Amino acid sequence: MADAKKPRAPFAPWDRRELPGLFSVEESARRVGAYKWCELKLFEALGGWIATVPELDVKMRLGAHCYKHAWHAELWHKRLPELREMNPDRLSVAPNEDMVSFIAALTEPEAPELTIEKLVGVYRVFIPHFISAYTFHLNNTSDITDAPTMRSLRFILQDEFEDWRDGEMLIQSLIETPAEVDRAAAHQARLEKILLAAGGITGSGTIGFNSPKHEGVMA
Amino acid sequence: MRKFFPVEDLARDERFNQITMNDRMADQRTAITTDSRPSRAANRIVPSRGDASDAARGLMHGIFVGEIQALEGAGRTCWDFTTGEEAPFELKLDMARQCWDEARHVEISIKLSDWMGSEIGEYAENTVLFQAACSNDPVLRLAGVNRALEGLAIDVFTTMKEFGEVAGDQYLEFAEDWMLADEVTHVKMGSDWLRKITENDPERRKKALDFQSVVDKLFSYGGTRSESQESPIGLARRFRELAGFDDQEIDVIADLSLAALEERKAAVLEAQAAHN
Repeated sequence: MADAKKPRAPFAPWDRRELPGLFSVEESARRVGAYKWCELKLFEALGGWIATVPELDVKMRLGAHCYKHAWHAELWHKRLPELREMNPDRLSVAPNEDMVSFIAALTEPEAPELTIEKLVGVYRVFIPHFISAYTFHLNNTSDITDAPTMRSLRFILQDEFEDWRDGEMLIQSLIETPAEVDRAAAHQARLEKILLAAGGITGSGTIGFNSPKHEGVMA
Repeated sequence: MRKFFPVEDLARDERFNQITMNDRMADQRTAITTDSRPSRAANRIVPSRGDASDAARGLMHGIFVGEIQALEGAGRTCWDFTTGEEAPFELKLDMARQCWDEARHVEISIKLSDWMGSEIGEYAENTVLFQAACSNDPVLRLAGVNRALEGLAIDVFTTMKEFGEVAGDQYLEFAEDWMLADEVTHVKMGSDWLRKITENDPERRKKALDFQSVVDKLFSYGGTRSESQESPIGLARRFRELAGFDDQEIDVIADLSLAALEERKAAVLEAQAAHN
């Protein structure tokens, strides 16, 4: 044991955390509000679909995933006041009207024979976009000032990756004909185009590109 | 996807055979027996009953389909109501949590059914449970599903856990005890939300409690659940207390269940007299 009184570097040589990050408090809160809104819409849809899918294994998986996304929404809801937004509902909104249209298109399928469309919307479109948005946030925010958001992002990303894999395996197990491959691809393309217009989970600049000058973002 | 999903449209694969409560009551084999043999003094599902294995398998299948409908009901509450306006955000979070719990219960029920030697679809699926989850008022759903239906689940799981204990079936006892823990949580969730949302709305609270009473009677299935040994399923007072029911509320359910049993017995006697 070295001399306890000997001064040590406050950041160990292996600690590479940095100041500043890409996001201001306001920008971080805006993104977190959009995350919450999107996670809320997703868990509502997953819950609603449970009664509409005849496949028992899918039904049970939707039930489990419904909770995971509700928990994500709850984490973001609790984070907002910590980012100076004392009225979490104010920022719990869609980033733009295109995202509202995306949710409407995502939740359109209801008939029992449309399980492929339901799963494609969630696991081939929405969740991959969540993973992108969360990864961008994780890789660009300050390791020090925004550590609480990063902790939530890591927990949530773990869920998203697991759910993505679950969902993709369900889709692959349901697709049995070339026509169903086309069906899945057509639905994916339709939804991707709407999400392209929306700019991603948090709107334009979700993953850095096409950002309108990164308003509120530190250079 | 529409708001408010009709019970007739519940999606199932081809193994399932759905019936309504009306179908069940209209079926002379199950509704009013014309069997002239004296009825058993004790119908409680215990290993010493001659038909214990069949009865337990039937009950387990009933649990299985009940869990599917509870899962679907909780999921629909996440979807059917606008967040913040018609249902609080936190209530929806609880319903989503319930979805996960019920999904696990479906999984457990499938494993247990397999363990007990029955198959999916071996018995009919009564859809009355989901019907209780179709109200357009979330508070009524909580009263009907979380307090009445999940309350019944407490009674059923306690009976099955005791069955496993007496039969020396640790696999069954273990699984039922875990599900019982979740159900106590769900009933408490319902009790807490009912009190919170109707705190300043006594009329809405009364309406919800009246609805719960109707559902409780319906779920008594003509005396299937009561404190009498003539009922296959007992009333689990201790676990109901843990779930937030007070003594008076439990007494009301006990009386209601007993009355349902007596009504059924009278109906059976009447049918037998008419038959003879």
